[in-house]
Amino acid sequence: MANKKARGPDKAKTNTDNIVVKKQEDAPDIVKQPPVFTDDSRYLCIASGRQVGIYSIQSGDKVHCLKKHSFDIIGLGIKEENVLYSCDTSGDVIEWDIKDGKLLKKTSVAVDGMKKFCSFYYPGNGMFLLSTPSKNTNGSSLWIVNSTSEREIFSEDIRKEPQSVAFGCDQGNGSLVIGALNYQCNGVLVKDMNSGAEKKHMTDKRKFTCIALHKEKLIMATGDISGRILLWHDFVNQIRPVKTVYHWHTLAVSSVCFSSEGEYLYSGGSEKVMVKWRLEGKHRQFLPRMGSTIKFIVNAPDNICVATSHSDNAIRIIDSTNKINQAIFGGLIKHDPIRGLEDGESKKESVMPTGLVFDPRTQGIFFNSQAGFLQLFDPLRGSMIFNMDIANRNVLTDERNTIIGNAEVLRVAVSPTGEWLATLEVWSNMSAGYHDMNLKFWRYDAVQANYELNTDVTMPHHDRITSLAFQPGLLGTEYPCLVSIGRDLKFKIWRLVDDTDIYRQKESWTCDVAGDFRKMMPTAASFSEDGSLLAIAFQDTVTLWDPMTINLNTTLSHNLIEESIELMEFGRDQCFRYLVCASKSSLFAWDVISKGLVWKVGKLRSPIRCLVPDPKSSYMAVVLQNSEVFVFAPSSSKPVHTITNVKSSEPIAALFVPRPNPLANSPEWLVNSRLLIVDDQQEFYSVDDNSVCGFDEKLTTPISHIDSLPWTPFSAIKAQKQISAAKQIVPVIHQTNGIKGYKSVQSLLETSTSTLPPMSRICNSFMIDLMIKHDTKLMTVKADSENGATNDLPTLMNGHIESKMPALKEEATQQKLLTLDCQWITKN
Amino acid sequence: MASFKKTQIRSLPKIGQKVTADTLYWRKLNFPVTVKEFGPIDYIDVMPIEPYFIAVSSAAKVQIYNPITHQVHRHFTRFKEAAYGASIRSDGKLVVAGCDEGHIKLFDIGSKSLLRIFKGHKGPVHRCKFTADNVHVVSFSDDKSVALWDLPSETEIIKFSEHSDYVRAGCVSSISSDLFLSGSFDHTVKLYDARSPTGSTISVDHGSPVESVLMYPGNSIFVSVGGTELRVWDMLAGGRLLARVSQHHKTITCLHLASDGKRLVTGGLDRHAKIYDVQSYQVVHTLDFPSPVLSLGITPDDFTVVAGMANGLISMQHRQTPAEARALIPKQSLKDQKKSQTTYRFRLNADFRNINRTFNPATDVEVATKNDNSLVSRYDMFLRKFQYSKALDTVLGKYIRKKKPAITVGVMHELIRRNGLKSALAGRDDSSLSIILTFLARNINDPSHSKIIIQVANTLLDVYENSCLTPQSEKLFLHLQEHVNREVEYMKHLMEIEGMLHILLASTTTQTRRGPVNIGQGPPVKVMLPSAAAAANATMVYNVG
Repeated sequence: MANKKARGPDKAKTNTDNIVVKKQEDAPDIVKQPPVFTDDSRYLCIASGRQVGIYSIQSGDKVHCLKKHSFDIIGLGIKEENVLYSCDTSGDVIEWDIKDGKLLKKTSVAVDGMKKFCSFYYPGNGMFLLSTPSKNTNGSSLWIVNSTSEREIFSEDIRKEPQSVAFGCDQGNGSLVIGALNYQCNGVLVKDMNSGAEKKHMTDKRKFTCIALHKEKLIMATGDISGRILLWHDFVNQIRPVKTVYHWHTLAVSSVCFSSEGEYLYSGGSEKVMVKWRLEGKHRQFLPRMGSTIKFIVNAPDNICVATSHSDNAIRIIDSTNKINQAIFGGLIKHDPIRGLEDGESKKESVMPTGLVFDPRTQGIFFNSQAGFLQLFDPLRGSMIFNMDIANRNVLTDERNTIIGNAEVLRVAVSPTGEWLATLEVWSNMSAGYHDMNLKFWRYDAVQANYELNTDVTMPHHDRITSLAFQPGLLGTEYPCLVSIGRDLKFKIWRLVDDTDIYRQKESWTCDVAGDFRKMMPTAASFSEDGSLLAIAFQDTVTLWDPMTINLNTTLSHNLIEESIELMEFGRDQCFRYLVCASKSSLFAWDVISKGLVWKVGKLRSPIRCLVPDPKSSYMAVVLQNSEVFVFAPSSSKPVHTITNVKSSEPIAALFVPRPNPLANSPEWLVNSRLLIVDDQQEFYSVDDNSVCGFDEKLTTPISHIDSLPWTPFSAIKAQKQISAAKQIVPVIHQTNGIKGYKSVQSLLETSTSTLPPMSRICNSFMIDLMIKHDTKLMTVKADSENGATNDLPTLMNGHIESKMPALKEEATQQKLLTLDCQWITKN
Repeated sequence: MASFKKTQIRSLPKIGQKVTADTLYWRKLNFPVTVKEFGPIDYIDVMPIEPYFIAVSSAAKVQIYNPITHQVHRHFTRFKEAAYGASIRSDGKLVVAGCDEGHIKLFDIGSKSLLRIFKGHKGPVHRCKFTADNVHVVSFSDDKSVALWDLPSETEIIKFSEHSDYVRAGCVSSISSDLFLSGSFDHTVKLYDARSPTGSTISVDHGSPVESVLMYPGNSIFVSVGGTELRVWDMLAGGRLLARVSQHHKTITCLHLASDGKRLVTGGLDRHAKIYDVQSYQVVHTLDFPSPVLSLGITPDDFTVVAGMANGLISMQHRQTPAEARALIPKQSLKDQKKSQTTYRFRLNADFRNINRTFNPATDVEVATKNDNSLVSRYDMFLRKFQYSKALDTVLGKYIRKKKPAITVGVMHELIRRNGLKSALAGRDDSSLSIILTFLARNINDPSHSKIIIQVANTLLDVYENSCLTPQSEKLFLHLQEHVNREVEYMKHLMEIEGMLHILLASTTTQTRRGPVNIGQGPPVKVMLPSAAAAANATMVYNVG
């Protein structure tokens, strides 16, 4: 590796040291830990990564962002009114003032022997509950830590999930009961901290998944994997306490929660339904189709509302009438990995099958959100632009023993202008051998500002489509064209056709050509930058086609290339003539003009995951499965830059994102764009210059201002700051009063004719007095525009576009000299 | 909480005639009332004002029909030989007709008396018309001349003899009393101005004997028919040809405007009447008749369509009144009434024009979108409650499974997706099983549904594999098998034909195209069929919006 670095271009070397890989913090995961309500039930504290966000419940907006932790936060707790505890994995506990977002106190609970923590609870009285991962099993040990740093082990066999520990049962006498779910032996462990009574309750073989204790009453609720909820009465003293069964869920219960009066019980799970049980009489209410699996349910202290955390990275706030009042989104919606795929499919197909697709219209990125949905993410602002329902189907949930899949968006392509969006959605049931496939074409309507479905094609190919690509470089007058390749050994060209008749104006997409090549499987497709050449790889052979006539120009194959090509991209800019192909373990480039293999790099350390061209320069990047990134120009096999310190798990997709302003003093490939990489946890990493800082949220409104004034009806309508769009009226002062030139006329009449100067002398000034004065500026502008009219013509005439790609000649060409350079990438 | 999304029902657009607003409009014509005359119906003219009497000239008489009662209101028989081209004056009081002996006779409709006879033509007069000022008559005669007559003085004002063959078509301008048009068997159409007696102002060549001419109300365009062609001419540009339309496969004989001048109707010897859009000259609908159509008449409100045919039949068709439509389909009417009570918003958008409502709809009337949950179908209700068997039962009702199999198939599709098909099919009694089996057998050949139906049939076989069946059900299973076997046979035949076509196409492509270039040491070229398979690949395309 060191050897290779020395061979890199020297001029870039000074700057490349600055290039770092940063994890994007703009779009954090807000549902890893359960949120916490403040005591007055007006704010919700949400841990996300290393920050704590304080959100207003009424508006759903973020009012504070507390960033002082240097590790991921593992739990939150309210100490007293307006004081929040937060704890990170290293054991640092920070006290925050919620009102103004200030750090009050930082302590460490890390006692010797305990380095890494996995969850944190604050039951009160200066006592913390902390859990550390156990060494042997997948469970954890729960510790009771007093603020005086005394610690005591509660149990060594506790489940890791945050909802497996609960505390409460004040009973009016200040007692505290802690309940926890065992990991291995499947029981509930309860302990009264005052009396020291400890009990272990077990039922049958069904594993418990969640536990809740009421704050005051002595009742406990547990949910298990069969969907049953048990309510335990007097469980601290009795060996066999009385239980009540509440069973509606078919899948495992993921969270249970009591209302503060103890009248109701909330439960939720993967059915995406929140059930509100009335504990007396077993009456229940449902809130169905909540969008995504419920992870946690938290009740507000004054019973006003309930917050549910969902696996799609959203927290929904439900009011007492069972309606969703607010939703807090954590930036990105996470895609639940597709289950039940065939073996041999890469992780990308399951986690983010669409990959990252750049939208030139908004400068955003398209990728999967929930099943059947597509989101557009703005990488500059770090926020989601919209989430779009592609499948328009009800989201189905699993049954107890069967996985029921949903329609998933597998491929997305955006036309070069951004006007058209092509999506492929697939629903398949492998056990029944049945699958549906829809290719949908959406047109962006600028007036309505959304996408409208134009054409919906059922079963566009007989088997799964593997790639979609729009033809770039078209002038506005030509109809757009899309190529799709599928596992049914066919490629199809789709074109927009005019379908207008007297009743309506209509355009729709139809299949223009379907073709195959020697009954080989098409594996990748790419258009040249100007759209004049279409390359389709059939296993190890590359075929070049004319996109207009679909005539085969050339086939390219070589005995050095034996593996099937998986990724293929044309070079951009100066490297337009190179076609870079990647198979599982080798990378090579064809010259499409001389029709020769230019270079090949084989035996890579790890399979190639992504091959992404930079739209703003001629460089390309290759991302390997072991998170190594190589940036190179297609003309040579030597990498310009190598990055090995990406701390992500397996990368699944990458994309060059253009910057709004070019970056000075940086290597050429970073001037106009930066590289984004997504790993299988759907975390974003950015390869960028160190000097560039990410998008900073500036929250300038501290709560204390809003809260300091008592609430009155007038304060609600009083604005914080007054800005008026109305123009201030400047009084118009008339420059002339009375009759124009009155004075000069008067003086002319009053003076006796004998004393008047000669007419030729006074005529000029007299006439000027009578004239209305014109603004001189106005006159000059007019004159300019008359002169300027002719200047436009030459630019219009020069506006024709030349094809960069010279026509391919049909002469059989000699195989080009092959430069084999395997050293830079293979380990010796 | 996301709202429940309706089950998607996919139906392929039917190949052939599309359902458009025009086809719906013209399909509303009732079954025709026919009257038999002795000779071919030469000409039909409709009174332009109410009660829209219809003047029919056939054989040696002119009859005035009442379009409502279909009875003869008046008839004029004072012709020695055949009477031709009776036309009614725009105030509905007079009628003028030509005849074989070359006279033009003017009658009063009220008193039936013969008021004037214009003599001067040497050949039969086939068409005669009142001019726009109602005091002149233009006649078009077989003596190759066109003449303008004065009504009060019964004299000929002007005569043009420019044609070289019979003049069998003519019309007058509806605005100017001086302009008239003649079409002749010498292939020309000529425009005359009575103010310039020297000759015709415009003369155009139609290309075949002209059977009928028509001037648009705006006086800027005229249309001529003859042979199998319809030609449109621009009058203001001095007779520039605007369009040539050839939709009939036999001679076009007559021409009429309909729908307030927005549609043009032509009738021909091929027994069809074609309705065109006057902007694009595309055919929007076709009416069929039992015999070659010689003449057409349409009342200004489109209420009655009258066609005269070569075998002497007059067919009169009325537009359905809403009451009649309801009487014809009583079941639907009930549904409509229910609909109107619940969701009148639909009606406002659909046929607001036809209902004379006293209120004006607000401009912000909400258009019901496809996600509107106000009309949840019964099957959706059951699907929502996970009652799969009941949902399937609902769509296996007689009306849905016979008239709208797409709904049944759509629900089956949803059940496959939900993995609920097995439970929905299981445990059925004999009668409901036979309904399913008959439905499957009937629809398994339908290419748009076959994929789902095959899946359902497979599941059904899995479910009832080991159960005891009654002989009736067994018979139905065998019946289904028979259907499948037959379909397989068809497919084999089709594949054979496809193979033959492939060979033909392959030979043409290899002739026109050079062989593919093979570089390097790849496998040798075997067969290459880049575009041939395009036609064979049937992809189903749905167009939305």
